[in-house]
This record gives sequence, C-alpha cells and structure tokens, in this order.
Amino acid sequence: MTREGFIELVEREQEALRGFLLYLCCGNKDEADDIAQDALVKAYLSSAGYQEKGRFRSWLFKIAHNTFLNHKASLRYTESIEEARELVSSTAADASFEHQDLYLALRTLPPKERSAITLFYLNGYNIKEIATITEASEDAVKKQLSRGRDQLKEKLKL
Amino acid sequence: MNKDKALEDLFLAQKPQFDDREAFMASLNKRLDAVEYIKQHQEATIRRYKMALVVAFVVGIISGAVTIAFLLSTPAEVPLFTFQVETGILSWLAANSRLLTATALSLLITFGLISIIGNIQDIRSMRVEKSF
Repeated sequence: MTREGFIELVEREQEALRGFLLYLCCGNKDEADDIAQDALVKAYLSSAGYQEKGRFRSWLFKIAHNTFLNHKASLRYTESIEEARELVSSTAADASFEHQDLYLALRTLPPKERSAITLFYLNGYNIKEIATITEASEDAVKKQLSRGRDQLKEKLKL
Repeated sequence: MNKDKALEDLFLAQKPQFDDREAFMASLNKRLDAVEYIKQHQEATIRRYKMALVVAFVVGIISGAVTIAFLLSTPAEVPLFTFQVETGILSWLAANSRLLTATALSLLITFGLISIIGNIQDIRSMRVEKSF
C-alpha cells in the first residue's frame, strides 16, 4: 500500500478510530489521540502486509486495540473512580462532551470489557467481529459484554 | 446477544465529533515523515554494514591465505612453538603449531578488520548527521 493510499483510507476512518479510542480512554482526548497516532504509525509500518481488502477499519481497530492495551500495561493504571473523576475534570477531556457519567462508568470496567462494550454499542460490531478485533474467543466476548453491560447499567442507573 | 436499547441509545447520543481532523492528519503526516526518514537511515546503515562485512570477509580470507602461505613456506620440520612439559594435548598443539597459529592469526586479522571498518563507518555516518 502506498503512503497516499494509506492516508486516503485513514482520512476516511479517523473519526471512527478516534471515537473508539476516546471511549477506551474514558474521554481523555489527548491520550486517545496519542494512542491513535501511535496505532496509525504501526499500521503504516505493517501496511505492506495488509491483505484484508475492504476490512481496513477492522484491521485498524485491531492495531488500535493492541496499542491501547500495551499503553495501559505500561502505565499500570490503578486509579479509583474518584481519581478518574479528577482526571476527567482537570485534563483535556472532550470539552464538547456534556455527559461524563458514561466515561466515568466505563472507567470502572477492565480494558478488555471496555473495548468489547465500545465496539458493540458505539461501532456496531457483532460478537464474531469483536472476537477477531480483540483476538479473543466468541464466548469470552459474550462474557465481557454481559459483565460490562450489567456493570454499566448499575453505575448509570439505567 | 441482543443489544440493550438504553445503553445503545446512550452511546449513540454521545458519539464524539472531532473538529480538528486536519490538524490530526497534519500531525500524522509529520510522524510518517519521521518514520520514513528513520527507515531510510536504517536501510542505509544496514547496507553499509553488510558491505563492510563483505569487505572484511574478503580481506580476511586474503590475509589468512597470505599468512598461511608464509607459515607453510618456513621450514616444516621446525615447530613454531614447543612446550617444556610433554603431555598428549601439548604434544598435539606443538605438532600442529603452524596450522593453529595460521588460523588464530587469520581470525585476529578478520575481527580486527571488522572492527576498523565498523569504526570508520560510524565516523562517516556521524559526519553525514552533522552536515544536516
């Protein structure tokens, strides 16, 4: 894939990718964009081996998901919900975002559950596609979705 | 698995919008430029090191051949070194002293050449970086 071709595809997919990562980072836009840039550089470097024609978005999401997990592992996040509240309110969180409750509730989920929930509800992927993106079994994804949904509903009082 | 309607509506209602798309792409392009530069630099370095290795290998073989020829041209019945103590291994070493010396010298010459050429390459690449 040429650089021009890659840029063209990224221009089309950047909003979905950044949205996905913004949710994974619970509204921390700077962190989400940083991970998005890292993921895109990784994608560019491995774009020579990209062969899944027409599934660029899934491929990109897979790289972004792995980059996010690596990022989390390197930071060893241990913040509690209170710390999360402080972070969201004090850093460059998505300013246009009115309801931070969802971000705060998402922050209480483990990263893998957060990914599964975001891909399912925000991006509209089905269980099989989520399993491919997150490199987990379909049963594992089902459990993550079920646990995540119950936890979110409880936190958000839905 | 069915979607929870309330949760889905919440996610979709809060779908993030980005008004800095161009700035994001400009930043990405800058990173890709840096990546391209590093890639080119790495490829050039690898090419230089490969060439240096080939040169060192050829020069090492020639030097080794010359050394062996020199050693073989000296009187064969006189060993290059002997030992005061007579044991099996020391006798074998003394008997093959010419061949062993030739091999050791060839290896030394090869490693020396690799090191010298590597250092020269490093110095040259430093010069190129400075001129930027």
